[in-house]
Amino acid sequence: MSEPVTDVTEQNFLEVRGLHAGYGQARVLQGLDFSVARGEVCAVLGPNGAGKTTTLRALCGMIRGRGSVTLNGRELLGRSPEQAARLGVAHVPEGRGTFNDLTVEENLRIGAHLRTGSGWRGRARRAVVAADLERIYGYFPRLRQRSRQAAGSLSGGEQQMLAIGRALMPRPALLLLDEPSLGLAPLVTRELFEIVRAVNEEERTTVVVVEQNAQLALDIAHRAHVLEAGRLVLSGPAARIREDGQVAEVYLGVSVRSRKAG
Amino acid sequence: MSAVTDLLQQAVEGLGSGAVYASLALALVLIHRFTGIINFAQGELAMLSTYVAWQLMASGMPFWLALPVTLAVSFAGGMLVERIVIRPVRGAPELTVVIVTVGLFIFVNALAGLIWSFTVKDFPQPFPDGGLDLAGVRVDWSTLGILGVVAVVMGLLYLLFQHTSAGLVMRAVACNPASARLSGIRVGRVLMLGWALAATVGALSGVLVAPVLFLEPNMMGGVLIYAFAAATLGGFDSPVGAVVGGLFVGVAETLTGAYVHVVGEDLKVGVPFVIILAVLLVRPQGLFGRAAVERV
Repeated sequence: MSEPVTDVTEQNFLEVRGLHAGYGQARVLQGLDFSVARGEVCAVLGPNGAGKTTTLRALCGMIRGRGSVTLNGRELLGRSPEQAARLGVAHVPEGRGTFNDLTVEENLRIGAHLRTGSGWRGRARRAVVAADLERIYGYFPRLRQRSRQAAGSLSGGEQQMLAIGRALMPRPALLLLDEPSLGLAPLVTRELFEIVRAVNEEERTTVVVVEQNAQLALDIAHRAHVLEAGRLVLSGPAARIREDGQVAEVYLGVSVRSRKAG
Repeated sequence: MSAVTDLLQQAVEGLGSGAVYASLALALVLIHRFTGIINFAQGELAMLSTYVAWQLMASGMPFWLALPVTLAVSFAGGMLVERIVIRPVRGAPELTVVIVTVGLFIFVNALAGLIWSFTVKDFPQPFPDGGLDLAGVRVDWSTLGILGVVAVVMGLLYLLFQHTSAGLVMRAVACNPASARLSGIRVGRVLMLGWALAATVGALSGVLVAPVLFLEPNMMGGVLIYAFAAATLGGFDSPVGAVVGGLFVGVAETLTGAYVHVVGEDLKVGVPFVIILAVLLVRPQGLFGRAAVERV
């Protein structure tokens, strides 16, 4: 990515200050503050309607917001999704958002679209895209087997893999995952989260993951923020939040508890 | 002339006019695929492009030079129309957009009348007179020429969409604009490109049909109806369908006019309506289209 405009510490790689956002008259976020360190996996948890998805949508420019959101010192608010993507934000929306008429490999090539802006041309660009394809197929071997298939013919889990793979093609600075487990079998979800962990470890990609399944998200997250009714009610290291029985009960439902019991 | 040769003769003539319907249908399908919009002004934009060609030739330019200039002007014009007329109503209800394209239809029609008047103008035939004699069936050079042009356009569009990265980006936008934006694609520019391509392909249909119909502001009205029938038959999402549909409609029109005496020359304009109605009743998505599946 390009060099930071202002001085930022590694701790405030993504910094959200006083974020207000919503849909028309419905104000969902009421002054949200949090920061994510570079290379960290951050889980955003909370009940339905707490504003988790809205937070991600404001970060990637899908909806407008007030306040300030900086990535590596650059302001993200007020930018369109395509501009945010050019600044290194890769958002995998809820419901996956693959290009169903395109083949798996074409989907990934669309992910490499931003590489055009990097000044590479012709053979050099093809080499870069080919290397990125190899990299993604390395994480998701199943996508390689299906590379000539239309994305619409994939299973739900494979589509989610494809959506994440496409988002990772341009080596984003920040990966936003919205409910990646939605509608997937537990085994598939676990596999998916392991891959996200691997990507984070190997490429130091900063990840913000929104999840209903708190237990899964906390397993791969370094840090977690709990939202309720558009406000941050709790922040801390993922391990501590996982251990905190009361938090689990009040904000995260019984999933953590039953895990302790079992 | 035997009955078979006569039938073939009629079919060949049908293919010639069908190719013109096909190219305008192709323009309709291009825009529909990218934006979900049915552009009622497509024929009028083609008519305007034809006037540009006519004006260039009137000022002394030879046809084969005037044509590329006209296509370039149409390309730019298509981009402008998207940016100025369509972009402001993006995301508006379908009916609003339809009304806007109908308004554009009326505006362009009146504009052409204002500039060039409503008197009929002669438009030169770019292809030589005469033709081939294939076992008694006469195929005019102009028919072959029109079919050839449409085949070349199809080929170029296929190459663009299947073998270039610009085409890949365009298909991605047609498929899922929201995800395309999240991948960093400037969707606005791609939509402008889609309108530009459609205007260019439409311009070809105008230039090809003008020598037959003579140039006047209402020239494309009938052609647009046939193009709608062609696109409906082929499927509004399928470029191949538009071409097959166009050829079919052309042949159906000629054969009905020649053999069904109740219909005859006067009533054959009813053929496209019958086709549209039949397709909508039997297979609403058309021959090559996919059934629209809406998630509820």
